[in-house]
Amino acid sequence: MTVLIAQRPAAGEPRPYAFPAFARHMVNGGMVIACHLERRPIVSMTLVSRAGAAAEPAGIEGVANLSAELLGQGAGGMDAHAFAVAGERLGASWFAAVGWDATQLGFDVPNVSVPAAAALLNAALVAPALDPDELARLRDERLDELVADAARPRTRALRELAAALWQPGSRYALPQGGSAESVEAVDLAAVRRWHDTRLLPGCAALVLAGDLTGLDVESVGATVFEGWSGGAGEAVGTSAAPASGGRRVVVVHRPGSVQSALAMGHSGPARGGADEVALTTMQMALGGTFSSRLNYTLREKKGYTYGASAQYDLRRDAGIFVAQSEVKTEVTGAALTDAHAEILGMRDAGIRDDELIDVRLQRIERYPLAFASPRGVAGALSEIVVYGLSDDHYDRQREQIAAVTKEEVDAAGRRHLRVEDLVTVVVGDADVVAAELGGLDLGPVEVRADG
Amino acid sequence: MTFTGMVAPVYDFSDTTLANGLRVVINEDHAVPVVAVNLWYDVGSRHEEPGRTGLAHLFEHLMFEGSAHVSKGEHLKLLQAVGASLNATTWGDRTNYFETVPSHHLELALWLEADRMGGLGEALSQETLDNQRAVVQNERRQSYDNQPYGDWLERLQQLGFPEGHPYQHSTIGSMDDLEAASLGDVKEFYRRHYAPNNAVLTLVGDVDTAAALALVERYFGGIAACQDLVGPPDGSAPASIGGEIRRTIPDNVPLPAVFIGYRCPPFGTPDFDALSVLSVVLGGGRGSRLYHDLVLEQQLVRPSEEFVGALDFVGGATLLIADLHCAEGVHPETAETAYDAVLDTLLRDGVGPAEMERAQALLTSELLGHLSALDGRADAFSQHATLFGDPGLVNTRLDRLLAVTAADVVRVGRAVMSKDNRVVLTYVPDEAAGESTADSGLVDAADRAEVPA
Repeated sequence: MTVLIAQRPAAGEPRPYAFPAFARHMVNGGMVIACHLERRPIVSMTLVSRAGAAAEPAGIEGVANLSAELLGQGAGGMDAHAFAVAGERLGASWFAAVGWDATQLGFDVPNVSVPAAAALLNAALVAPALDPDELARLRDERLDELVADAARPRTRALRELAAALWQPGSRYALPQGGSAESVEAVDLAAVRRWHDTRLLPGCAALVLAGDLTGLDVESVGATVFEGWSGGAGEAVGTSAAPASGGRRVVVVHRPGSVQSALAMGHSGPARGGADEVALTTMQMALGGTFSSRLNYTLREKKGYTYGASAQYDLRRDAGIFVAQSEVKTEVTGAALTDAHAEILGMRDAGIRDDELIDVRLQRIERYPLAFASPRGVAGALSEIVVYGLSDDHYDRQREQIAAVTKEEVDAAGRRHLRVEDLVTVVVGDADVVAAELGGLDLGPVEVRADG
Repeated sequence: MTFTGMVAPVYDFSDTTLANGLRVVINEDHAVPVVAVNLWYDVGSRHEEPGRTGLAHLFEHLMFEGSAHVSKGEHLKLLQAVGASLNATTWGDRTNYFETVPSHHLELALWLEADRMGGLGEALSQETLDNQRAVVQNERRQSYDNQPYGDWLERLQQLGFPEGHPYQHSTIGSMDDLEAASLGDVKEFYRRHYAPNNAVLTLVGDVDTAAALALVERYFGGIAACQDLVGPPDGSAPASIGGEIRRTIPDNVPLPAVFIGYRCPPFGTPDFDALSVLSVVLGGGRGSRLYHDLVLEQQLVRPSEEFVGALDFVGGATLLIADLHCAEGVHPETAETAYDAVLDTLLRDGVGPAEMERAQALLTSELLGHLSALDGRADAFSQHATLFGDPGLVNTRLDRLLAVTAADVVRVGRAVMSKDNRVVLTYVPDEAAGESTADSGLVDAADRAEVPA
């Protein structure tokens, strides 16, 4: 006979918490930010630079990504294979990633191998092979990736949404890694120019996060920055002009689809707005958690989908709001109607008290989890570098989250949920779904062939 | 200590079994004010009966839909509201439930887990079953049916194991079987598998062992054991498939891809460890043989840092799998032939010390990274306690991997990676198949091999 405890337990006494302590060092003209994390032997060694895709010149979009990738394809007299093996024999895994606002490259590396990996990273920065054959290969790989992305319903929907939200010619209208046409146009001269004018020590920092016991951080930094010259480069923004199409529906015909991939969105604010904490609090209640309105209604109440969510992607120059889900083909119209109603409801009636309490607490309590791993901490420190945040940013943000009010959240919702500008993308079987979409009051419907 | 100087830490733990059979593993780590709570139930898709595929996973969904003292949706809501990250997974051998929480909320996590272990039955309703059945069917559509190449693993399992073998069907299950699952099926599944004596609970993180154990006793101690537990089915199978099974699948895919599955010894055996090393030498990281030959030199396939890997099934046999996604314009036969050449060279000429060192270094840092995270370590303790009866195997896992020699790699590779022990699936874009049937041989290749009895 089973006996259970009926009473839900109360919380215990929390241990005091602060964002992990970190220190800055200037060595060889470069900034080193080091954060010791006890018993995390795989150190994240990240060279972060304020050279992101948003700063790319028109016509060669994708140059940031290809330039970062090419640094790992041979350096210091080693070809691509030898460079890979040199790192991996240290137990180090190379990464190169480009976002809208930054490039990150480096190694996840066992702490005992950090000095040796630092020498490899230095070679990639100051003595890359920049082999034209390797660049040609990377271009082909990127083209294949574009083809593969377009075949996945969800990524296809997001790509079509971006193209619809921004004016043609805006950087944000193209995929982050560039289009087929622009990738083809990236030659070695373009890569060299990117390195010489963007990927510079003056706008970069070396972030070390992990168990640093026994490591001389300044010496590691000195190795990485040795012989790397150049200034900070000029700050470049991107043209982020929203398209002016108004509400509309774009259907990408994917014959035989058993689900429709949905993306509803509009352009949004840049990072760093005064109401950012209020905005993200609203977003969490609308579509940021399992219990959020979108997921609860579309999945738990209706069974239309495996999941539904909403995010703001806040970039330096502008952002987007997007709600998304993948739903059974037959309920495409019904799911869009429900999602639209939830967005409208949040804008007009605002957040409920119980939602506000839960989201605030969730975000505050999450800090020790979010900033426990070397990668998590390196990511947070990278943002400090890229967006010029204060060193106490995360602790202050936590206080702001705790203090945010319903009035602030609701004001952010009214301002940043622009229902009249929503563009709806449906990747699915147009023969089944297109007819009913016209009756949903989401704007005119355009059907496009897949391809 | 390895040649690179990396030292694998030994994690101290306590190992206790409550009177009702619940095994409790606790490892203290006070680096951050967080604790990982991890529960493995010794039930997975291999325990499913014919006509009821997908039931173990569908059941996992129902565990979030309310229990004796928890209303629908409340489990997730309460844990998310205290900042937890949580989820559950179902796989061939297990169903695991886990949440990482700030340590002052440990008691909430234990209360919620105990309530659904002991009190799910009274909350199960036709309404929640129908809702979660629809959710799971949409999960199947999203991950398998509407995704390019989405059903490759299901097909490999279907062809790579003998008829009726416990791993012959996918964990997600078939649409028909999901449709057929009744409230009675679900209740019986719960009664037979969800009991303290069929589970391992692991806590890793900022806890005091004695105090945490007292809490576990308080919340779980009153749950009755199951008197007629159902053990795992017999998974024994011939060591080899006994032939080459080929299938060509014209599908809505952008580029051709080849998936190759070999039947092999299960997780937990020295031969499986040898295959883990072989997988890295052949296809792990950017310095692997396949990356060198097929990506850098010949540019036949899309880059991958994990071309080869084995499913971690423990019951009798498992599959070692290689996957090759063709670059634009490359015929899948060309990619497959080049892959075979790389493999043949390795099995003929062996593996050098530098390659062994690279593989060992990568496996070491991967394991150290996995175990240094509280949630990864908790899952590893539960895994080894559930599947092998010994959580302490976590601390010797690296020793076993590093004991593999170059000779082991070649010996096991030759035994497993042969053409008469494999399934080859070739996905081709729909229209290409339609146009080139006459001369490509793509479609002709289907079904030409004999399926062993």
